[in-house]
Amino acid sequence: MTSPLTRDVVMETMKEFGIVEQVRANRFRITTTPDRLRDAVKTVQESLACERLVTISTADTRQMFELHYHFTGQHRTIVTVTIELPRETPELPTMSDMLLPAGIYERQIHDLFGIVFSGHPGLKKILLNEDWPDNEHPLRKDWKPDEKTFYGGTKQEGR
Amino acid sequence: MAEVVIPIGPQHPALKEPVNFRVIADGEKIIRLELNLSYTHRGIEKGAESRDFIRVLPLLERVCGICSHSHATAFAKGIEEIMQVKIPPRAQYIRTIIAELERMHSHLLWLGVAAHEIGFNTLFMWTWRDREAVQDTLEEMSGNRVHYNMNEVGGVRCDLSPSQVQTALARLPLLEERIHKYVAMLEEEETMLLRFRGIGNMTRHEALAYGAVGPTARASGVACDARHEDPYLVYAEVPWEVVTDTNGDVYGRTCVRIGELRESAKIVRYCLEHLPEGDIRVPAPKAAPTGEILSRYEAPRGELVHFIRTNGTDKAERLDIRTPTLANWTSVAMCLTGQNLADIPVIVAAIDPCLSCTSRITVLDNNDNTSGMITFDELRKRSRARWQEQERS
Amino acid sequence: MIDPVLLLIYVFVFPGFLFLFVYALTCEFLDRRIAARMQHRVGPPFFQPFADVVKMMGKEVIDPDGVDRRIFDAAPVLALAAVMTSFLYIPVVGASPLAFQGDLVLVLYLLAIPTILLFVLGWLSRNIFSAVGGVRAVTQMFIYEVPFFLALLMPALAAGTWSISAIVVWQQHNWWCMFLQPIGFVVALICLQAKLERTPFDIPEAETEIVAGPWTELTGRRLALMHLARDVSLVCGSALIAALFLGGPMVPWTISPAWLGGIVGFILFLVKTLVVLLILSSIKVATGRIRIDQLNAIGWKYITSAALVQVAIVLVANFWWVSA
Repeated sequence: MTSPLTRDVVMETMKEFGIVEQVRANRFRITTTPDRLRDAVKTVQESLACERLVTISTADTRQMFELHYHFTGQHRTIVTVTIELPRETPELPTMSDMLLPAGIYERQIHDLFGIVFSGHPGLKKILLNEDWPDNEHPLRKDWKPDEKTFYGGTKQEGR
Repeated sequence: MAEVVIPIGPQHPALKEPVNFRVIADGEKIIRLELNLSYTHRGIEKGAESRDFIRVLPLLERVCGICSHSHATAFAKGIEEIMQVKIPPRAQYIRTIIAELERMHSHLLWLGVAAHEIGFNTLFMWTWRDREAVQDTLEEMSGNRVHYNMNEVGGVRCDLSPSQVQTALARLPLLEERIHKYVAMLEEEETMLLRFRGIGNMTRHEALAYGAVGPTARASGVACDARHEDPYLVYAEVPWEVVTDTNGDVYGRTCVRIGELRESAKIVRYCLEHLPEGDIRVPAPKAAPTGEILSRYEAPRGELVHFIRTNGTDKAERLDIRTPTLANWTSVAMCLTGQNLADIPVIVAAIDPCLSCTSRITVLDNNDNTSGMITFDELRKRSRARWQEQERS
Repeated sequence: MIDPVLLLIYVFVFPGFLFLFVYALTCEFLDRRIAARMQHRVGPPFFQPFADVVKMMGKEVIDPDGVDRRIFDAAPVLALAAVMTSFLYIPVVGASPLAFQGDLVLVLYLLAIPTILLFVLGWLSRNIFSAVGGVRAVTQMFIYEVPFFLALLMPALAAGTWSISAIVVWQQHNWWCMFLQPIGFVVALICLQAKLERTPFDIPEAETEIVAGPWTELTGRRLALMHLARDVSLVCGSALIAALFLGGPMVPWTISPAWLGGIVGFILFLVKTLVVLLILSSIKVATGRIRIDQLNAIGWKYITSAALVQVAIVLVANFWWVSA
């Protein structure tokens, strides 16, 4: 379909997964749970004719991690599937088998936030340099750089 | 020759910015590709969380040198939408003019770089000579050849005088004639056809599956252009067209970019001729209400996405940038398998990689709240001062 | 036999090695200047190539870990020696005093030595980029050498002699081979461009793909000598084609006194080699680099077939001429 998606259509298709809101004239957000994520994404791709993944955004609300999967298609409307992950154990099965571009986004999110995507073919560092210590995830709200730790780059003389 | 690992990068003549590809090849055919993007990571997303809206725009401009205006405009228009501030029409037109001039200079640069990758240095010299006309215009308008710093939340920083408009209009016919010549060259020049045709093929289905954006996707027939899908600035009023191609290879991407050059010249001409009178900025509130927005912008390389979340203060709570080059890397990795070694520079160059956009990092943190530009020397001085302080205590 | 002192002057001063170096560096200057003007740039001043050679000779020689230093030192010297020697057999002012039957074959073999040495250097550099570049250099040699030899041996077949100087004399009394064998002329020019590894055939040294190919680990005076060898082979190749196809340093009538004939011949030599250089520079500027597999296809399908057609024409013409 090439005409913009209407609220009713989106509500009808996605209401079993969670709350549906229209946050902007051409953007809908569906809040769902991590275990229903795969089905939600599949429904969005098939029933709402969303052909491509725009991006996976993340946010840290100090209590939870949020992941937003944005999709769009020829109807020029964005459908966002949002999930929340607990901070202590941020784990999620990977989406890179269903959505190929998710592979690179998940690697980046893992580097910056420490969310573990189980089943990802290669969750190596992509964005942080190779000397970066393993358990420090810079974009978490509670992260502060420690002066004693070496984060990579050149060492100053006398240190 | 048996299977060999050829490192392309981080230092390599084919790369304009450091990136590490490890190409695993069998003779001249590529089997697999491994990617490491950490070399220009500077911490901009984290840095944006500690700067208010006036100070964060210059920081965001420096995500990339070639698409600097894209990042600043995407953020500014997102914040303006959260604040529900409507900027005056003259400011919209000026932002569009700068945006399209930036697209032209970026595509001309790309054309030269692609020609250089195949050893065709003559075209490289010619396109960069023509690019000087665009750079001169930008310098007259904004004071700088890159990092124009034209945006403010609420409008633009400086106005265009009538003489500037006239000089810019006077330069356009020459550019249009040269673009015409490049179109002809692309259809006739044998070595370009030999090196560009049939390389890096991607069907429409693959382009959608790999999440490609920008000219890379449009060359495969996917008509996705953020200016068309989510019109912002004045793109809904100006007559222009989305340029697509059905070839799906590097040749197709070249055709799309040259087509976009033509369209950009048209848009610039229209905007310069129809520039409305009025203010160039409106006063915007200092703090933004709580909200969330997905701001999309068509940068020269593709669709740029800023996911901004505000929390009622004068700083952004979260800024998540997805650059077009990051989206295109998957398609490069998939396109390269089975191709020749000699085509790596051409295929990588065809997505017009901007690695500074792709890796954005952090760590220059210190506990005092000074802001502004910090040079590398200043950094060293500060850390040395801190070390001495610690030694003393 | 001629006077040994004159022979020494011929070999070392003029038109031997000293003239050869000056002329080779002048040709490099002209090549770079023409290319720059065509690209709308200014280009280097006249003394740039001389300054480059002097500078490179003074730079530090860096040996990568584990490479064989003696071969790295010897190979550029051998390459330069080979092309310098081949120049002695090419007529510059009238016939070469060292000419003999078969010197054409000797010159062709000597001109092939630098490419093989480049392969050896690439292979022994212990560096993946150099190895790939060296392999490409010999692959390319395999492709262009066959049509090159065929095209250059056709004037010999037409003239009935294997000495370059004798071919030049033959052309004085008949037409230039450029008019008699135009296909051969074009094939020879294209293959010379491939032999000198210039765009569109600069595949072994593809800067954006394999850094500098076999030249990557050459530094200091090794690089200076190899660079000089490349410039000298440009002059040798142009002079060879000028001699075989454009009539060399002779006009179609005899001039007396002999010293005037010599001067006119020398000027003609300069003009003809510069014409060939202009053609090669224009080809270099107007094209991009092609891939080695594309060169393979073009080389065998079109260039070698053209050379074979030329061979057939010359054989038939000879037969018809002889029987007439």
